[in-house]
Amino acid sequence: MGGEERNMPVYLKNKHKISLSMSIRYLLLTAGLFITVMPMFYMLISSLRDNKSTFSYPPKLFTSLDKMTFENFGYILNNGNFYRYFTNTLFVAFMTVLISAVISSLLAYSFARFRFPGKNILYSMIISVMVIPGLAMIIPQFEMAVKFNLVDNLWGVILFYSAWVTPFSTFLLKGYIEDNIPKELDEAIYMDGGSVFTVYRHVMIPMASPAIAAVSILNFLFPFEELGWSQTILKSDEIRTLPVAITMFFQAHNRTDWGYVFAMTGLSMIPVIIFYLLLQKYFISGLSSGSIKG
Amino acid sequence: MISIVKKKSTRKTDWRVYILLIPGLLFVATFTFYPIVKMLVMSFFNWRIGYQQVSDFVGLANYKDVLSDQIARRALMNTVAYAVVTVPLQMIFGLFVAVLINGIKKFSISFRLAYYLPVITSWVVVALLFRYIFNNQGLLNYFLTDVLKVVNEPIGWLSTRWSAIFVAMLLGIWKGIGWNMVIFLAALQSVPKEYYEAASLDGLNNRQQFFYITLPSIRGTILFALVMLSIGAFNTYTPIAVLTGGNPAHQTEVVLTWMYFQTFNAMGKMGYSAALSIIIAAVIMLVTVLMFITLSRKKED
Repeated sequence: MGGEERNMPVYLKNKHKISLSMSIRYLLLTAGLFITVMPMFYMLISSLRDNKSTFSYPPKLFTSLDKMTFENFGYILNNGNFYRYFTNTLFVAFMTVLISAVISSLLAYSFARFRFPGKNILYSMIISVMVIPGLAMIIPQFEMAVKFNLVDNLWGVILFYSAWVTPFSTFLLKGYIEDNIPKELDEAIYMDGGSVFTVYRHVMIPMASPAIAAVSILNFLFPFEELGWSQTILKSDEIRTLPVAITMFFQAHNRTDWGYVFAMTGLSMIPVIIFYLLLQKYFISGLSSGSIKG
Repeated sequence: MISIVKKKSTRKTDWRVYILLIPGLLFVATFTFYPIVKMLVMSFFNWRIGYQQVSDFVGLANYKDVLSDQIARRALMNTVAYAVVTVPLQMIFGLFVAVLINGIKKFSISFRLAYYLPVITSWVVVALLFRYIFNNQGLLNYFLTDVLKVVNEPIGWLSTRWSAIFVAMLLGIWKGIGWNMVIFLAALQSVPKEYYEAASLDGLNNRQQFFYITLPSIRGTILFALVMLSIGAFNTYTPIAVLTGGNPAHQTEVVLTWMYFQTFNAMGKMGYSAALSIIIAAVIMLVTVLMFITLSRKKED
């Protein structure tokens, strides 16, 4: 990335100091990496070992190559509803990303560019929703879900997740639009006879795409980790998402079948990692303005 | 010229903005504003659900119940302790990693991706992983008893209050470093390099540059991270639910796990749970507002 080099502190350009301070940096970063990645590595290793040996003592950090097995993965894929959980979660994730991207970009555009009565009050109301944990509203939300027939229905999680993540997405997108999209572009579209919709489609969406990508990464992850609400309304097995399914599986297996559990968790991580890798180049630039302004 | 100004002002109150605005507002209002108001109402009633149930107005009785409840107070204490420890530590570590990554030339993207890995891993997954590692017969106890021989008996990490909260804190910090790293990296990259040039001409060393230039320049981001992480810390549910389930004997409950338990396991205490939720929300709002006031006051100094 060119940006990183441009912003390099000056002392790094001082050639005499480079080698020592650089090697200390790499050393510290590698040491930190060890702590960060070690538990994940341990999970991977445990998922590749015979399930019975994952609960034996002493535990092993390493495993010889010839003892590695994909048995646990086979078990998870061949027994139970893993494909259903997986596709359910993907569906919920894509829908949550889509709905919240549309709604929050519309809200962000309106709040960033227009004046209308009650604007400040409305915006502060939306922002203060960020402060209240989605799970804290569980009782009235559950009543609503019952009324709208959303219990045991994937839309029950999709709609509420989208609503929970929208305030933060709106906040980041509004900051991004204000800082990074010049008003002159809007003006030019209006001069050409375009409407607010033209501006939204041809200026906001393309220009704000780094920020939309950044919030989408966060929103995509949400259905892969939310447990409280999903376990409340997704009652039957074939409708469950991965966090619920994994927790249920763990409890149903006497909390000891770690090999199976880690095969399941490992597989569940794949979509999020792919999604992140695809969009990661936008991540920092997309997050920057909203978070810098504070 | 006049016509342009006129055109501008008519567009500012363009009715079409409502078409952009109303779907989103309706959506957010239905799924968040309405439940919040409903919850506030419920917290003043002995709320019952079911066909033709009549709920009695009980005033502040639910709030009294919550505030006099030993477990609720303990849960709040645990949550506050979790927030006070995890928020500053993950910010410090995250900023440290961001400064290191910002100063290297090669592999900066690889490091960034690797440090971000725990963030994009689900809470359920990492909590299970920590449960496995901190198990009585787990990897950590094995190292402490049989390899390093610093303790004789395996430690029951997840079976006493503070040791379990400690594990939850470690998990929170470990998972949060990457998020802070990304946020601070974005902030560091927007600090104008001229500042550093001027500073090194003035003879400031690296540490002085960090304290006199970097920190003041990223103050907005620090406030942002502080607020977001505090909200997140009070929002903690999954790590505790998976690590301990609030056990033993509700010793390790945080506010949301206790609220959830009261709602679904101790049926008929809907009013209590609603009051608890309102108290949680009020506490978070108070903390957020206090942070804004103190930090913006410091800015003026």
